[in-house]
Amino acid sequence: MKKLVSVLLVLSLMFTLVACNSAEKATSEPEEESLKIGVTIYKFDDNFMSFVRRAVEKNAEGKAELILNDSQNDQAKQNDQVEMMLSKGVKSLAINLVDPQAAPTIIAKAKEEGTPVVFFNKEPSAEDMASYEKCWYVGTTSSESGIIQGKLIADSWKNHPEWDKNRDGKIQYVLLKGEPGHPDAEARTKYSVETVVSEGIQVDELELQTGMWDSVKAKELMDAWFAKHGDSIEFVIANNDAMALGAVNSLKAEGYFKEDKIMPVVGVDAIPDALTQIEAGTLVGSVLNDAANQGKATVDLALNVAEGKDVLDGTEWKLDDKKSVRVPYLPITNDNIQIAKDCYAE
Amino acid sequence: MPKIDIKKKNLSKENVLNWMMNNAIFLVLIGLLVIIVSVSPDFISLRNLRNILSQASTRVIMALGVGGIIVAKGTDLSLGRLVGLAAVVSASLLQDPEYAYKMYPNLPHLHIFIPIILVMIITGFFGLINGFIVAKLKVDPFIATLGMMVIVYGVNSIYFDRPPYGAQPIGGLDEAFTHFAQGAFMIGGFKIPFLVIYAAIVTIIIWTLWNKTKFGKNIFAIGGNIDAATVSGVDVVKYLVMVYALGGMLYGLGGSLEAARIGSATNNTGNMYELDAISACIVGGLSFSGGIGTVGGIVIGVLIFQVIAYGLSFIGVNPYLQFIIKGLIIIVAVAIDSRKYIKKK
Repeated sequence: MKKLVSVLLVLSLMFTLVACNSAEKATSEPEEESLKIGVTIYKFDDNFMSFVRRAVEKNAEGKAELILNDSQNDQAKQNDQVEMMLSKGVKSLAINLVDPQAAPTIIAKAKEEGTPVVFFNKEPSAEDMASYEKCWYVGTTSSESGIIQGKLIADSWKNHPEWDKNRDGKIQYVLLKGEPGHPDAEARTKYSVETVVSEGIQVDELELQTGMWDSVKAKELMDAWFAKHGDSIEFVIANNDAMALGAVNSLKAEGYFKEDKIMPVVGVDAIPDALTQIEAGTLVGSVLNDAANQGKATVDLALNVAEGKDVLDGTEWKLDDKKSVRVPYLPITNDNIQIAKDCYAE
Repeated sequence: MPKIDIKKKNLSKENVLNWMMNNAIFLVLIGLLVIIVSVSPDFISLRNLRNILSQASTRVIMALGVGGIIVAKGTDLSLGRLVGLAAVVSASLLQDPEYAYKMYPNLPHLHIFIPIILVMIITGFFGLINGFIVAKLKVDPFIATLGMMVIVYGVNSIYFDRPPYGAQPIGGLDEAFTHFAQGAFMIGGFKIPFLVIYAAIVTIIIWTLWNKTKFGKNIFAIGGNIDAATVSGVDVVKYLVMVYALGGMLYGLGGSLEAARIGSATNNTGNMYELDAISACIVGGLSFSGGIGTVGGIVIGVLIFQVIAYGLSFIGVNPYLQFIIKGLIIIVAVAIDSRKYIKKK
């Protein structure tokens, strides 16, 4: 017990000393107000958002002091963090909402201080965006990822007549859907198949189920579907790469991807894991959700508004009618894989 | 509860040590504050104090609910999911009549107290079942409430994910409702959030229940020694059911306020809140072996965690590191505290 108490005492003494020291330093140095920008990420350990976060950090380096917060997938926590950052006097906020419906609460807090807000990756509703003149959005157009995936499917199908195993001219596909109700999942499911059809290819849907964006769930579904349909499956479409990789794992166990046995699988996101699979030929392609440019656009906008400049000052971004910058998705196959790799390069 | 005998003022070395031991949690709090302030002196501001107090408010209400259960030698893992259920149900009944994506398009405009009270009855009922399972069926509280936690999530998800709009976060809340939780009033130029007042009222009510009523005396008796309590004629089943039901009602209130404070609710609202609430209770001096604890301790425990969460983000500590610090504080605080009680025995 004595030890514990003495350790505590020593610790607090040490910190008091440190405190005195740093206080002296602070006063002796010339006051240089660094530009503070408050950033929240809905969940730090989200794979995709961790790349966006890195891009945000990289682009802000030397230009602003970032206050980065992990909202831990909890909107209540995020609200607390926004209050904290406002009280810290940030010049602008870059907010990756946990729950897009909570935008009015964040906007109300920012409005009170007149602090500009750049939302990114999770889009507030049009009414909420219109309710505050100093708020903007950086993201993508959900439908675009589906359209690009559909084009990728159609192009590769046309280039590989041997994939039509039963020679009926139609694609018999199975589709792994993301979380039901999630705008990306709904849009990708709808637009990928629609685009294939609009390219003049007929399709048969053998199965469509939700894999909840999850690799393990997708593998289990694929196991079951394979047991049911076997080789009559001609294409596997997944709403994201994690599920595509799950399906690939399931198919590997069935003897695919050895010698000539090929099953075309496509995903979305172009995560690093998927890139290796594309290079190895087990994945046909993916759609790059451009983390690097989303992070860059977010910082560009947040910096501009923090300095009181025009939101697009000195950038190449364009705003649409909803005060939003839409970073385009890119199709990724083995031919242009370097683009995606550069995205993840430090 | 061990009380410090101030009258003696005997400043021997042992007494100083004893005093420090008895107040270990305060020392932890002070130590943390010293660190935070030394890194960022502008932490000391009325505004930060207000933020911390208002953010701690809903958590105090929830922690007081589970606190009574811990005193009665139980625990309640269903807290977070019940908070989520309360948030979803109250939000679904209190959407702005003009909002386009209402869960109940034809629902008339309700006074905010109707859904809040309804929700408290619902979550109180779940608490009551918890109490019944623990007291009557003699299921270990950890297991009983673990089961309930999963059940409530299922119930909430079914309620939440259905037509016309499916699993959409419930937003567009009635302004009267959000103002009820997000609003504040001015006293002498200082803004006091309503939430702080609600938490204070609940704290006073629970303090009275614990210290001035038969209910309080009995739950401490049950927690301290259930056999002795039974022998001396305490209706153990009745009081256990009551304390779990009271817990449920407080989560209901906390959850409704949480929905209004956030401005929206999903079936994941409140996820894992039980861990925060239980650790706050334990750091605040409640003992898992039952029969020991104070209302003040719980409030302090919640505040400690709020200061950590707010202060560490304020000085920009790496979020992952914050988890480690939080975990260490739980262990250190309990280690200091349990030594205190071992010595007493």
